[in-house]
Amino acid sequence: MTILEIRDLSKSYRSVKAVKKLTLSIEQGQAYGLLGPNGSGKTTTLSILTGILRQDTGAYSWFGDAPTPRQRTKIGSLIETPHFYPYLNLEKNLKIICKIKEMGFEDIDRVLRETKLDDRRKSRFKTLSLGMKQRLGIAAALLGDPDVLVLDEPTNGLDPEGIAEVRETILLQVEKGITLILASHILSEVEKICSHVAILKKGDLLASGSVKDILTEEEVVEFSCSENPKLRKLLEPSEIVSELREENGLLVAALKPGKSIEDLNRFAFDKGFVISHLASRKKSLEAQFLELVKDQTP
Amino acid sequence: MKKLIRIEQIKILNYIPFQILLGLYVVAIVLGLVIYPLIDRQIPVISLSDVFRFPDVWAFMTWITEPYNILLSLIVIMITTNEFSNHTFKTQVIFGLGRRELISQKIVLIFLLALLATALIGLTTILLGLTHSYKITLKIALENAWMLFPYFISSFTLMIIGMLFALLIKNTALSILAFLGFRTFISPILFMIFTKKEWEFRWFLPFRANTKLTPLPDLIEIFQRKLDSPEPVNASSFEIIPKGLPLWGNILVVAGYLVILVFLSYRIMDRKRLT
Repeated sequence: MTILEIRDLSKSYRSVKAVKKLTLSIEQGQAYGLLGPNGSGKTTTLSILTGILRQDTGAYSWFGDAPTPRQRTKIGSLIETPHFYPYLNLEKNLKIICKIKEMGFEDIDRVLRETKLDDRRKSRFKTLSLGMKQRLGIAAALLGDPDVLVLDEPTNGLDPEGIAEVRETILLQVEKGITLILASHILSEVEKICSHVAILKKGDLLASGSVKDILTEEEVVEFSCSENPKLRKLLEPSEIVSELREENGLLVAALKPGKSIEDLNRFAFDKGFVISHLASRKKSLEAQFLELVKDQTP
Repeated sequence: MKKLIRIEQIKILNYIPFQILLGLYVVAIVLGLVIYPLIDRQIPVISLSDVFRFPDVWAFMTWITEPYNILLSLIVIMITTNEFSNHTFKTQVIFGLGRRELISQKIVLIFLLALLATALIGLTTILLGLTHSYKITLKIALENAWMLFPYFISSFTLMIIGMLFALLIKNTALSILAFLGFRTFISPILFMIFTKKEWEFRWFLPFRANTKLTPLPDLIEIFQRKLDSPEPVNASSFEIIPKGLPLWGNILVVAGYLVILVFLSYRIMDRKRLT
């Protein structure tokens, strides 16, 4: 079942085009990451999807229907920093959300427990640390077990312990089978949590698909033998490497998916080459992401 | 509707500035019960007690307490601008309220505040009337009680104007300044500028039309009647409206303004950026 369908969505702020004809489809149970550097249009996209902003052109549908405020009661969202009534305590702030969602107050205990805020339930929102505020935002998003969770940079401003806690909470929801839409500029976050990813830059969709396909960690190998040019000629059209170049007298190759360093060694040996130097250089996801964002600028 | 009232209830009943301002409003109204008769003792020749008697007390009280509605409007401005400064309009939309519901919840709150104000004025008026009238029958006591209706409209409209200022300006201090500036300076100055007969439209100026819903009682006529006859006055002193539009005309004008103001409020919220 398609949970979210976005078609040609565009939004400009005067001369700045924040989102350009974005088309995306998110299926039930997917953990979908919107990945991109700051200013890539992630927050604008999520703000449109949660009713805060209006798109200039294009359309989107939640659960197969045109968007309505009532649909948003089935979506738990945290867009940028959470905003609540500073003079109200956590419990009363969550009661307001319960009222908006037209549900009872029974779920407040659970979400406060899950976000480890139950001992601060009577504290006013303004007295919370940034990390706690962020956790309250997640608690509010989790109220009523929503079908979809929309989180925009949920670990922003958190300390390492806070980041780990928030990720753990999100992962728990993903394991439960919730549909997640997560915007982040942190690649490792998307990699750890999401099954699918869309990479955005300056409002353009650069790539989308499963994390496996888009962000597979390629193995890069450096090697050499006494006859490097001959071996290169044989390797280039082979099924083993996807990319081959020479660096300081060494051959550097990116292995095709499913191929290992042993396959490369065996191939060379079978063709009569004895490899004198062989080392693995993993190409980090970060490097791949930066490469993608850098190279595919339209 | 019940949902919107409950949401507003959680917000405002825990908001200390709201409690303080509303408390001040109630104290000011109640103090009137004590202060007006005291003023009366300072003026030996003309007895102000005459305006505290049924049925004239209705007109006097609705007129004299009309400016108290400014305090209620300030509460509305504060509550509305706070939603912008705390970004809580945005939060409510994210979790499932429509933009129009954001305005509806404020209008419901304003309606309830106007009801409270009208009830309080009604109660105070009855107390003053009961303590100052020589002869009390139900007919005399309730003869001008209908004045509470234009008072309610006046109170409701003034708060709606306050909300519109808050929606347009978004900043608490600036909204209050602009609202008070218009109510206290700009509107009276405009009214004074357009004094010529051909400029009768001055009676249609929003604040002026709204204030005239609870017009100044014809005190001279009341005292004159008292000199002619020592008996309690049965007739309403409000058959003669001093100047401008008749009361029903004013009610129509203000109702027209109300429709425009509410429509504008919804339009503004529809187009407002909530980020």
